[in-house]
Amino acid sequence: MSENHRHNAPESDIALRVKAMEQLLTEKGIVDPAAIDLVVDYYETRVGPRNGARVVARAWSDPAYHERLMQDATAAIAELGFSGLQGEDMVVLENTPEVHNVVVCTLCSCYPWPVLGLPPTWYKSPPYRARIVREPRKVLAEFGMDVGDDVEVRVWDSSAELRYMVLPMRPEGTDGLSEDELAARVTRDGMIGVAPV
Amino acid sequence: MGELTAQKMAEIIERGSTKRRPDAATPPRFAVGDKVRTRNDHPPHHTRLPRYAMGRTGEIVMIHGTFLLPDSNSRHLGEKPQHCYGVRFTGKELWGAEGHPADRVVLDLFDDYLEPA
Repeated sequence: MSENHRHNAPESDIALRVKAMEQLLTEKGIVDPAAIDLVVDYYETRVGPRNGARVVARAWSDPAYHERLMQDATAAIAELGFSGLQGEDMVVLENTPEVHNVVVCTLCSCYPWPVLGLPPTWYKSPPYRARIVREPRKVLAEFGMDVGDDVEVRVWDSSAELRYMVLPMRPEGTDGLSEDELAARVTRDGMIGVAPV
Repeated sequence: MGELTAQKMAEIIERGSTKRRPDAATPPRFAVGDKVRTRNDHPPHHTRLPRYAMGRTGEIVMIHGTFLLPDSNSRHLGEKPQHCYGVRFTGKELWGAEGHPADRVVLDLFDDYLEPA
């Protein structure tokens, strides 16, 4: 699509609504636009799934850290410097050969921001939210992940104030890798639970 | 309430805004392993009990501690802090014949949503 074409196209309903909201909040002196810029900048440039990847790589490398992470995820994640809004009360879900975990928020779009950043569009979409609780294996297959009939699929609907992150299984053949090299293997989708790592 | 400035926003991002509250005066009504049934009264207001899990029987798998109750707090009726539990349901219980026998769904549910099963 050319730049020209894009500029001529009408803005989407949601973009117009957001603009109107922002203008009203600013005019009424409720929000300083600088506060909005700060949020956008913070989550676009400073926070994202690389944070979660560090947590996973540490858990794979350091058994004592893994233990702390499973006992008190919020504190163990804060050890690596990740905490704050939408990560106040964290739970880490460990995948095993017997249980595959996957996270959703059927009611809205709750997501662990300090470790994963802001959620991808599909995570917020009604089809993912409706289907992952009802037919998780079909949805996972569409993501390219086939789960055996003997494996339990455990879907975590973040319906209250806990925020969830999946600890994927460490891939085979990674014994000699450093923590940095391991972190590079970890994907956002793996930490939501819609892909293996 | 003053304007939300960039400075205040930075503090909120850093400190967060937990909905956890000091432990409730009463101990949790349920223990891990207890069977519970969710209420089925489709309230017209905000709730964190999704409709697909209303009137269903599940098992307590986690005890999360005390949190404010969104149903009450969102209507400015007070925080009404109470115990919140991880409750696990089978796919069969939620979806009947359509459910896969090895599917499970865990929801975080407040004390008010639950009764012993």
